[in-house]
Amino acid sequence: MKLPELNVPVIKQLIVKDWILFQKQLAAYVTGGIFALCLIGMAKGWSFYLGSLLLLVVMVGISCFSISTSLLVERKEHTLAFVMSLPLTPLDFYLAKLLGNLVTFFVPFLILSVGTLAVIAFTPLPDGLVVFSVLIFGFVALAYSASLSVAMAVESEGWNTFAMIGSMVLINPFIMLLGQIPEITSHVKTENIVWSLPAVAILLVEIVVSIAVLVATGWVHCRKKAFY
Amino acid sequence: MTAALALSGVTKRYDSFALQDITLSMPEGQIMGLVGVNGAGKTTLLRILSGLARADTGTVEVLGHAMPARQVAVKKDLGFASEDMRLYKSQTLRWHMDFIRSIYPGWDEAYATDLLRRFDLRPEQALAGFSHGQRVKALLLLNFARRPKLLLLDEPTTGLDPVARDEVLQALADILRDDARSVLFSSHNTRDIEQLADTISFVHQGRLLASKDKEAFLDDWRRIICQGTWQAEKQAWPEIAMMRQNGSLLELRVRQFSEGLLGRLQAQGLEIRSAEAMSLEDIFVTTVRAGGAA
Repeated sequence: MKLPELNVPVIKQLIVKDWILFQKQLAAYVTGGIFALCLIGMAKGWSFYLGSLLLLVVMVGISCFSISTSLLVERKEHTLAFVMSLPLTPLDFYLAKLLGNLVTFFVPFLILSVGTLAVIAFTPLPDGLVVFSVLIFGFVALAYSASLSVAMAVESEGWNTFAMIGSMVLINPFIMLLGQIPEITSHVKTENIVWSLPAVAILLVEIVVSIAVLVATGWVHCRKKAFY
Repeated sequence: MTAALALSGVTKRYDSFALQDITLSMPEGQIMGLVGVNGAGKTTLLRILSGLARADTGTVEVLGHAMPARQVAVKKDLGFASEDMRLYKSQTLRWHMDFIRSIYPGWDEAYATDLLRRFDLRPEQALAGFSHGQRVKALLLLNFARRPKLLLLDEPTTGLDPVARDEVLQALADILRDDARSVLFSSHNTRDIEQLADTISFVHQGRLLASKDKEAFLDDWRRIICQGTWQAEKQAWPEIAMMRQNGSLLELRVRQFSEGLLGRLQAQGLEIRSAEAMSLEDIFVTTVRAGGAA
């Protein structure tokens, strides 16, 4: 099978463009996230819950902002037509949008995720929270990948909003589900970081499904010869 | 002469609209005006030519390359601006110019500067503060300054005030001083097309009604005013696209005028009062209403 030829310089330019367009807003989100981490780091009951809630809101906000501004708003404001007129194929466009989105989402996401782990490690918070936190962040990444795939495949604003809100709202039931698994909950309040079998399985599912939905969307775009 | 674009048997079907069996070609260095009412299929045709849409059937070649298979190679030498295309509101025109320059090695900064002055645009202003006319001119600047071999413009003058329209048309005329450059632009404003185009194509309800040299269009068509009443079988007069009786006066709109036709009309007992040239708008309207070829 012949591999498709990619216009790498233009893909790079589009990724840089997305980063430049959204960097200020993303910096504001990261600032909000750092404030949340400060609250968590105070290691008091009220500040921990308030900080955790704020951190989740910020992460969901980054996810929705990244997808909506780079895809939905561009589509709505007809700037996508401008981008599509540049020397690129639908596959180049898909890769540029995918990588651009991954950069604009994962840079602040990783800053806050690593920040959270650092806060847990260097404050009186129990280290057992690490597993719980990583699984929640994994779910946010999965929800983001699913929403991104829908946004790239479906033009309907309604379906995209549904996918974004729907996947993010599921965080609550997911946290409740984690709370029902003794192998995970029993270590949360201890100083031991224990990667039990259910925890590893859940993390693997999150990673594999996240990658799978993005690859599936890429495969669809790979077959497209034109944008419309 | 090499064709800047060539379509053969092209169809494209949507739920409520279909482009049907379009065969059209344009030699390099020409300006072709695509005339049609809203929804005629002009935008679909331009999207197919620009590689954004794929024809269901038929073949499309642009600058010697098959589309959309070779769209990257084509788009490097192609400028495309459409009425519904927008730039990033939060960024300045300078940012857009730098962005396009980073992608197109043929970007002509001196020409861009000249266009900035001619279009009276401020490069450091964010697009959010631009009027519609300024936005259109900014988009055209970004296309013109990359010095494309072929420009596809979808309704470039729609919504512009008379001054902005004149500036855009003048800039279009200027870039055509270079014979190697070709332009296909669509409009429902026949005056713009008449002013600029060498070749004119009429599109209506997804079909190509006619495609001819502008002078041939204007030479072929006449409005003939006669005194008298039409009595012959109309089928025997295929050159008459439309006739209208108004009291004792008969108005004929003729698609293939010749001196011989006047003699034949007189032989029918009609007294010729005048035979005058028609505007492109009249020709287009008559062609569409007659529902046939021009």
